[in-house]
Formats: sequence, structure tokens, C-alpha cells
Amino acid sequence: MLQKKICMLGGFAVGKTSLVRRFVQSIFSENYLTTVGVKIDKKSVAFPDKTVDLILWDLAGEDDIGSFRVSYVRGATGLVLVVDGTRPATLAVALTLRERCEAEFGAMPFVLLFNKSDLTDRWAIPEGEIDELKQRGWQIYLTSALSGEHVDDAFRQLASMVAK
Amino acid sequence: MYDFFSKERSAAYLKIDARQCIEEKGGNLDYYGLSSLRIDEPVAEQLEIMEGLLPCPELPFHMPMMELPGGHVADLHFFGDGGSVWLLFLDATPERDHQQRLQQKAYEMTLLQERERQLNAKLQSTNEALRESQEGLSREYRRAESLLLNILPASIAERLKADEQIADSHAEVSVLFADIVGFTERARSVGATTTLAILNYFFRAADLLSEQHGCEKIKTIGDCVMAVAGLPVARSDHAHALAHYALELRESARRERFAGEPLSLRIGIHSGPIVAGVIGKRRFVYDLWGDTVNLAARIQKAAEPDEIRISDATHELLGPDFACDPLGETELRGTGRVRMWRLRG
Repeated sequence: MLQKKICMLGGFAVGKTSLVRRFVQSIFSENYLTTVGVKIDKKSVAFPDKTVDLILWDLAGEDDIGSFRVSYVRGATGLVLVVDGTRPATLAVALTLRERCEAEFGAMPFVLLFNKSDLTDRWAIPEGEIDELKQRGWQIYLTSALSGEHVDDAFRQLASMVAK
Repeated sequence: MYDFFSKERSAAYLKIDARQCIEEKGGNLDYYGLSSLRIDEPVAEQLEIMEGLLPCPELPFHMPMMELPGGHVADLHFFGDGGSVWLLFLDATPERDHQQRLQQKAYEMTLLQERERQLNAKLQSTNEALRESQEGLSREYRRAESLLLNILPASIAERLKADEQIADSHAEVSVLFADIVGFTERARSVGATTTLAILNYFFRAADLLSEQHGCEKIKTIGDCVMAVAGLPVARSDHAHALAHYALELRESARRERFAGEPLSLRIGIHSGPIVAGVIGKRRFVYDLWGDTVNLAARIQKAAEPDEIRISDATHELLGPDFACDPLGETELRGTGRVRMWRLRG
């Protein structure tokens, strides 16, 4: 059995829980309910040669990065970094959280999700900035937990990265 | 003590051996939806949260507020015991719910504030853009207006902007024509640049003086200037105003030399009724029509170099305020015999 722990990381209200719900249950709710502590979900991702069970740790979002409990990430083999595309400051939060995890547990595969791509009129991340990050070789997706756009792509990509 | 934890915080425990299999289990595992865990089988395959956690290098280890399959929330405590690890579950559902209520309010408030800031910033930049385009628009408008004023009298321009048709009869005005003596020959001999300088000087003088004397320069035809007094606002001293205008125009022509030679003018004035109006739709022309205009032009053509020749009608209006010499009656083309005067000063 190929089972991998994945942590959802990002600022508060960027859509971590909604992305997990969209990916695991294919549903979306407009209501915002903040996560406290951690909730775990599981979803199998099938590839031609193998099936990977992703154990998704949906961690509480952060307002103050200083309070982040890096210990939750112990044992993780991959990260889903989530940014709210309508709130530019959440990019720095996601990148800082990744740095803290790498400092504690070493480098691990990750995907970077710019979420809420359905909110085009409020979108606040310039395309050039995203292109710049892509040039670092990062796996970046513009996702919408509401419409489901690119959500499966992003999780499948991470699954293939951690299954290697 | 154990009873207290067991009852109040639904204590449950697992003991995991060095092979990462469940060695012992106990307490209220049912509360956490974990009653089916099997002894002697790998823990991570039965309990997903354990994936990757063992072996745990730092014990004891605490993981607060984890929501478990049964929907309840536990604080997890890991203790080392020789080669084994104890995993203690203590219920934290009420604490989690309480903290969630508080956190929810705080985050919603923060989100609202962020949104408000964003909207304010957007509003501000929209306002800024609006103000800039308004300024641009009024700059354009002022420019168009000043262009219009350059070719039309102000009051006429105002009425034109109000989309009025303009054709006014004026019973009493004076009309002046002035041109440069020998302009065509002179232009040929001095070249284009000097010719342009001559015209520029002459027309500028005509413009400046019409402002000073409350006259209107109507148009230029080649080297000829047409000006009028008593328009668009009527004035009883239109002949006086235009006489002053003529004298000063002649004076300023004499003052300046081009290729060593001063300018010499031929000026004619006549007074009477005319019709004034704007013709054209895209390119406006304000012009005057009537016999008075025609006769003024004929008188100007008949004038000698440096002479200001005026009609009898104009002379009568001027009265004793200007010195004039009678010229007797002269035959003018298309008009017959006309009595004229030379204005001296």
C-alpha cells in the first residue's frame, strides 16, 4: 500500500479546506468555516502502474505565522501551498510556511496553488509574478475550489511527485 | 485521576511496538470511531494519522486538536516506553468548538477589513483616473474654445456652441480693408521667408489693434485685411474706432522695415448696414455681406499708397473730430460716382 502524508499550508481563508472538499468529495460550499487544529481526509489517486493514497492534513490557516505548529508536518512527504489570488499578502505567508517546514524537515515536493481563480474581477496577482515563480521550475496552478478548475490536476501532479 | 480523564475527557490509548504494530489498546476508543483497530497489525494502515509519524525521534510529542474519523476532536500525546510508544487520546471537542467560534469571528472581521481596504484603494484609484480624464477633457475643451475664439468673435462663438444659426443684420457698422502696396512684386523679390515675415507682422498688428480698439478682424484675403467696428455688439462710435484703427495700422506698417523698405498700406473705410453670419458646418467662417462691404473694398482699391480713404458716410459720422481732405467725386467700378475723403489724423 502506497500511502503518503500531504500537508495543506497557507494563510487563513485562502481555501485549503474547500480545495480538499472539492478534491475528495467534489463539493463546494460558499460558507466560510475556519479550521482549528487539523482535519484529515484521504483520497486515492490512480496511475497506470500504481495507486497512491493521499492522506491530506488540512491544517488551520495562519494569521500570525509565528503561531504555526510545524510539528503537524512531521512525516509529510509533500506540501500543497495555497495562496488566495485576491489577497497578494497570502503569497508571502505560503512561501514563509514552506521555508519553516523545509528548515525543520528538509526539502520536499510541493505544488503552489493560486486559488479563487473564479474571482477574476478581484484578482490581484500580476501574471508576471506567477511567470517568475514558474521559471524557478515550480509546479503552479490557478485553481478554483468553486468551479473545480485545475484542482484535480494539482493534486494528481503532487501525487505523482511524492510517489517517485 | 484516571477515572477523571476517562470520564471527563474520554481518555483512550494505544501502545505501539517497535514494529509499528498495535500492541495494546484501551479506554474509550469507540468515542473516536477507533474501536475496530486490530492488535498486532501495522498501525499506519489502520489509522491514517499515523502515516509517516513513526519512528518519532522526539518523545514525548504533542499534537493538539485533531479531528478523528468519528467527528470528535482529540489532543494526541505520544510517550516513549522502551522500544514502544504510548499514544494517549484526550477529548478536545468542546475546546476546539469554542476556539473555532472565536477564531471565526476574528478572521471574518480581518477579512472584512482587508476587503474594505482593497475597495477603498480601488475607489481611490478610480477617482484619480476619473479626475485625470476630466482634467484632460476640460483641457481639450479650453483648447477647442480658444481655437474657436481665434476665428470667431467671442459672443458669436458662444451662440455657435449653443447650436444657434447665426445670420444677423447690423444697421450701423464701419468696414475697413487694408492691403500692402506692391505686395506681389515685393514678394517675388524678397523670397518666401521675408514674405512670410511681412504677412505675419502685418496680420499680427491688425489682430493686436483690433483688440485695443474693440474692432473685429474678420478675415485676410491674400495680403488684404478686412476689419469691422460695431460688431457683434453695436456701438455708436464705430466710425471713430475704425478711424483710430486705420491710423495706427498705417503707423505700425511704416515703423518696421523688411529688406530695408517700410511697408506701405492702402486703406479704405465705408460705413452702413451689413449682414453678418457664420457659414460652414465643420469649418466655421464668420463673414460679412452687403453693399457696404463691397463699397468699402472698392474705396480701398482706389486709395493711393499710404492713404486712408473714407466714404462720405464715414466722414459724416466722424464729424469734426478727425482732420480730412475732400477728394471730390470719383467714378468707382459698379457703383457710379462716389464722394470720398482722405483721413489725415
